[in-house]
Amino acid sequence: MTTSTERVGTRPAVSGGAARGAERRSPLGWVKRGGFANFIFILPLLLIFGIFSWWPIIDSVIISVQHTNFVAAPTFVGWNNFVFVLHDPLFLTAVKNTGYFALLALIFGYPLPLVLAVLMSEVKRAKGLFSVLAYIPVVVPPVVSVLLWKVGFYDASATGVFNSILGWVGIPPQPWIQDPASAMPSLVLEATWAAAGGTIIIYLAALTNVAPELYDAAEVDGAGIWKKIWHVTLPQLRGILLITFILQIIGTAQVFLEPFLFTAGGPVNSTTTVLLLIYQYAFQSSDGGSNYGAATALSLMLAGFLAILSWVYFRVTRNWSQN
Amino acid sequence: MKSPRKVAILAAAGVAAASLALSGCSAGAAGANANGKTEIVVASLEPGASAEALKAFSDQVKTFEKKNPDILLKGEEYKWTGTTFAAELAGGTLPDVFGVPFTDSKALANNGQLANLNKLVSALPYGNKFNKNVIAVAKNDKGDIFGLPYTPYAMAISYNRADFTKAGLDPNKPPTTWDEVEADAIAIHKALPGVAGYMQMTSGNTGGWELTSATYSRGGRMETTASNGKVTVKTDNDQTKAALAYLSKLRWKDNAMGSNFLLDWDGINQAFGSGKVAMYMSGSDVITALVQNDKVDPANYGVTTIPLESGPDAGVLGGGNVAVVNVHDTPAQQAAAVKWIDFYYGQPQVSQSASVTQSKTLQASKQIVGAPTLPIFDQATYTQQQSWIKPYATPGLLANVAPFTSTILNDNIVPEPNKHTQDLYGALDSVVQAVLTQKNPNVDSLLKAVDVKIQALIDADPDQASLK
Amino acid sequence: MTTLNDPLEDRFVVQAPEVGKARRRRRGGVENEEVGRDRGIVSSSDWKRPRIRFSLTTAHAILLVLLVIFGLLPILWLVKSALTPTQDTLTAPIAVFPHGIDWNNLVAAVGPNVQIGIYFLNTVWVAMGNWAVQIVVATTGGFALSVLKPKYGRVVSGMVLATLFVPAVVLLVPLYLTILHPLVIGSSMLNTFWAVWLPSGASAFNVLLVMRFFDSLPREIFEAAETDGAGPFRLFWSIILPMSRPVIGVVTVFAIINAWKDFLWPLLVLPNVAVQPLSVRLPQIAGQTDLGVLIAALAISTVIPILLFLAFQKTFLSGGGFGGAVKG
Repeated sequence: MTTSTERVGTRPAVSGGAARGAERRSPLGWVKRGGFANFIFILPLLLIFGIFSWWPIIDSVIISVQHTNFVAAPTFVGWNNFVFVLHDPLFLTAVKNTGYFALLALIFGYPLPLVLAVLMSEVKRAKGLFSVLAYIPVVVPPVVSVLLWKVGFYDASATGVFNSILGWVGIPPQPWIQDPASAMPSLVLEATWAAAGGTIIIYLAALTNVAPELYDAAEVDGAGIWKKIWHVTLPQLRGILLITFILQIIGTAQVFLEPFLFTAGGPVNSTTTVLLLIYQYAFQSSDGGSNYGAATALSLMLAGFLAILSWVYFRVTRNWSQN
Repeated sequence: MKSPRKVAILAAAGVAAASLALSGCSAGAAGANANGKTEIVVASLEPGASAEALKAFSDQVKTFEKKNPDILLKGEEYKWTGTTFAAELAGGTLPDVFGVPFTDSKALANNGQLANLNKLVSALPYGNKFNKNVIAVAKNDKGDIFGLPYTPYAMAISYNRADFTKAGLDPNKPPTTWDEVEADAIAIHKALPGVAGYMQMTSGNTGGWELTSATYSRGGRMETTASNGKVTVKTDNDQTKAALAYLSKLRWKDNAMGSNFLLDWDGINQAFGSGKVAMYMSGSDVITALVQNDKVDPANYGVTTIPLESGPDAGVLGGGNVAVVNVHDTPAQQAAAVKWIDFYYGQPQVSQSASVTQSKTLQASKQIVGAPTLPIFDQATYTQQQSWIKPYATPGLLANVAPFTSTILNDNIVPEPNKHTQDLYGALDSVVQAVLTQKNPNVDSLLKAVDVKIQALIDADPDQASLK
Repeated sequence: MTTLNDPLEDRFVVQAPEVGKARRRRRGGVENEEVGRDRGIVSSSDWKRPRIRFSLTTAHAILLVLLVIFGLLPILWLVKSALTPTQDTLTAPIAVFPHGIDWNNLVAAVGPNVQIGIYFLNTVWVAMGNWAVQIVVATTGGFALSVLKPKYGRVVSGMVLATLFVPAVVLLVPLYLTILHPLVIGSSMLNTFWAVWLPSGASAFNVLLVMRFFDSLPREIFEAAETDGAGPFRLFWSIILPMSRPVIGVVTVFAIINAWKDFLWPLLVLPNVAVQPLSVRLPQIAGQTDLGVLIAALAISTVIPILLFLAFQKTFLSGGGFGGAVKG
């Protein structure tokens, strides 16, 4: 990314000959060559990233092998926090629930935006209107969406919004988030509603970048609409489809807002996700203590898992695109 | 011409100034101010309290400041969440005076996370008159006092009197046995579709709190302490199972518990306030909050004691809060804080004039006067205090709470489990949820899992580790 | 770090590096795409066949109805219920104004009990601070890394890029502890807006976005400026910044919208009610507030993001326009 660029605003760092070697090493020379100006400009970034990003990332590794509370100094406990997490019966529950959420989110939320985007890309008039409508749920603040669905739509009494609508067609009231079996699918439904618009817009943009000549060529070969979709559109979208797939998994593996606000992990822990468990370790232990070590250990385990998953995914899919 | 270098220097100066302001604002949070006054921040009401309730509070602050011109008070909305306590303590964001529930006060005192008020509280005129069982929760293991208990409550059944009437029941004759609770719940549910006849809380640790209450009322216990102090958890007991079977019956056979099974304290109060729940279990003083937050009409509100089965162990779960002081406070602040605790929580219990003044203030802002509580001191003091506030009591309230107040003083009050109480309650939440959302959950194994989990936490406690 | 679990943001992260190109493409290509992009999957001869024409038109009509149902109706229901008496919402949630319009919910939401106005202002305050910090860090940092290019620049940009691959969840606890005991700054930032503002600046997305934009600026301008004797400060202030309006616009819109969306982080670092933004306050009052009033408060909270979206549709929707970048 720096190939052809000339240093600008300051002299090139390597342009000085041997004669300038001394100046280059002295602090004065550094200032004269613009080193100070460089430093001033990069300082906010260094400070902010250093304090609020780089250091916490390093710190997470430290915390994960410590026992920390606010009464005594932190003590080194080795792998204890990881062992604690692995022995917690809720750990497996949370992993299963998170996997279930991710799976349902893929089933509900992965193909649908693609179908809608392909259909929308062929709209001739008022295309903007379609996009705006699809995108509105994305700009509604997530907290508002969840509360709206919780107190209005998912009201499990016969007079809840969804149950009223189901009543019109003779379906009895559903429990929605009040039942361990239907709670998670209900959460996914809302999450999909809230996110689908964003994915649609990405696909739409990718669709406009498919070269028209490819369709022309396919038609010369006598391809119909379905064949064009199958042989031109989808292969052209493959790159973005592969990326949205893994990004969606990474995103849903960190789902927090929906289970936290809809159900607080209930009923019967059926919506306790990994992130909710992390939150509970860190901020909901009672008796004045907080298990920051366990929370961080679980965060690192999740991050490690996602890193390995992405690495494997990109290995596998790279082979696919080579074939 | 605006020199860019000047701009950069200005910007750098701005950043520096900002970070100075930043370090200044949290360092000088509380303490002595320039006039030599002692400044303290005290917990006022819970978030969401009505404007009238807040006015009643600030009126009392003004009265206090008039009496104590050297103290500057600031009220701050506050709600105890055991959860964020440690962080708030570390972050210096706790008020100087705040409340913690009976379940947590002892552990916090033992951890050194609260200010030791032994001298200050003992010096109060009523310092040695406390009901021993009640003040015990405000002491650490060495016997030092860390706060003043207030609003001690007993578990009770709150009910909507209007719903009773509509269902053809007599609101002056609330149920006295669990079977009658069931019968009334069915009657209400049949007469008023969409209204839950009876409901209990299920989430945010309240599910375990209420299940424990139901267990106590049947003579069971969740934790037992051996003679050497060793605590054993046994939620897997007959009474708890009976309490769960009872809930299951109301839910699945009678279908009398409505359609919302994820209710915490706020949620069930709101459901009661909006008419979706007709009867529910809660602390006996909940009407105060129902009026502050949920616009409940006291004329429609009734409360009765929790049904007790026969047997010497059957009892009513009792709890409450302790007013405590921030451990970071200076001695001057601690003294000021105890003055406020005395004024706001203590005096109204023991002094006629303080009691009357507080009642008048509450009455003026349409807040509840006469919410049923338990005695902090001996019974005579309590009865006398009740007679002082009687003329100011919310109209009709004393008659409506009579089913509770007429019997509670003879009942066996049982304190909450004392080790890892909130952890225990939290673990029991999902058992209660299981019974209400699944037809045939394996209750035995769920309770056994809770026992294993909580016992492990207890055994890891320093004071338990050496015991067998 | 602005949101902890927003897959959408991750998507933009991918699109980020190409914004400069995307803009040029839009100037050159995408604009005439509206009128001039001659075809998609369906060719004009396809369109002329009645069967295809009929089924496509029908499909589009159905699609439009579905989009109205899922995109618009929930919002309309929100608005309707904000203006209906609570009992109507409880007993007949679908009926349209069965007992007329009732402004009391809105009045109560801004009134002394809920005081939505305070939290609204707090949200505005959070958004403005986030914006300022993000702009300063991204433009100065982007300028240093992509124009000044100090020796250590590659290391720094590598480290910035690396943070993109660390899931936000890893930061949750350590960042929280950092707020309690920050390096350099010293005293706890809990319950101050700084606790939200400053971490929001550590957005690799923004820095990379700005860097790519600066990279795309013609080098001749910098050289000319240098010849005129302009130093780096003047170059930045008088030349680069004025040219950067497009990218600053993108950063601005997303800074504001993300401040409105963010929940978990402010929940953790702003426990004091007086400084809480809407997203944190709404769930807390949900338990104690009359349903109609709560819905009115929800409606009020949605107004700004929706208006922002309608006003800057292009920025939002072409946010997807960067998506083409992902292809390669």
